[in-house]
Amino acid sequence: MVYIIRLMVIASMILMSSCNQVQTERDSQMALMKTTNPNPIVTEKNNGQDKVEDIEKKVSGFNEIYDVAVVKGKEATLVVYKVKHMQRFNMKKIEKDLNKTLEENYPKENFTVSSDYKIFLEAVRLIEKKKDGSYSDKQADKRLNEILKMTSDMK
Amino acid sequence: MASKQKNMTPQQQKYQQLQQKHELKRPVLKNCIKAFWVGGLICVVGQAISYFYIYFFHFTEQNVGNPTVATMVFLSMLLTGFGVYDRLGQFAGAGSAVPVTGFGNAVISAAIEHRTEGFVLGVGGNMFKLAGSVILFGVFSAFVVALIKTLLGMWGVL
Repeated sequence: MVYIIRLMVIASMILMSSCNQVQTERDSQMALMKTTNPNPIVTEKNNGQDKVEDIEKKVSGFNEIYDVAVVKGKEATLVVYKVKHMQRFNMKKIEKDLNKTLEENYPKENFTVSSDYKIFLEAVRLIEKKKDGSYSDKQADKRLNEILKMTSDMK
Repeated sequence: MASKQKNMTPQQQKYQQLQQKHELKRPVLKNCIKAFWVGGLICVVGQAISYFYIYFFHFTEQNVGNPTVATMVFLSMLLTGFGVYDRLGQFAGAGSAVPVTGFGNAVISAAIEHRTEGFVLGVGGNMFKLAGSVILFGVFSAFVVALIKTLLGMWGVL
């Protein structure tokens, strides 16, 4: 038992020391554990920023959803969200309702909707990189397409 | 039970009563709490590992279970080899046996136990003595569930 306690203490010390490094914390570092609600982005400048903000508001309006990330590309719009813990039994219904709402409100848009944590994380990372200028419009669109491909592989 | 007692001699019945009087009560609640906490801690470690795979590799929430389970089983096999998991098992009981780590423990502990009988008939023949039934029932129940799901899908229920 002593060994186990020692092992646990060492493991927790390693974990704590790794969390305590001096560096600016990014949203994506804790994106899976806390609410980030990143600002929605469009990969092309001046191409529907108002629209994505409106989409984000509509999706956030769902009671079952608590964290939303929206990225609009040239051809498709990615909507990723986190579902409240006790509502995770109704994932399919929530996705269906969300798809319906989005299609009714924005019939011309091509939406890809996902509640997968990995997709959410990648969307937050993309938004951060686009904001701090690491990604150009073209690179952001390319990355968005890769994320969209990831979602289509899951189906 | 009553017929058994009838067949007993008065001396045996007396002994039985004495034995029942001195029998230690199992600390069921304490064991449950221990199992709950240790089992929960193992699951927390599993969750941390799955987040690690999501963060640093290209695993999505759907398929991250595969490497996580493999890692957890591998870790429990190592811990069994070092003799740590046995102590944990003694302390937590079902809390350490029910999660998937218990599977790794069952495989390796059987292999270690029968090592003296040789590699083929000892280790190879007995390694899956306990884990074999887990695999068999796991595969069979997965087959049944998949069959039900397919049929329900065909009938338009799902």
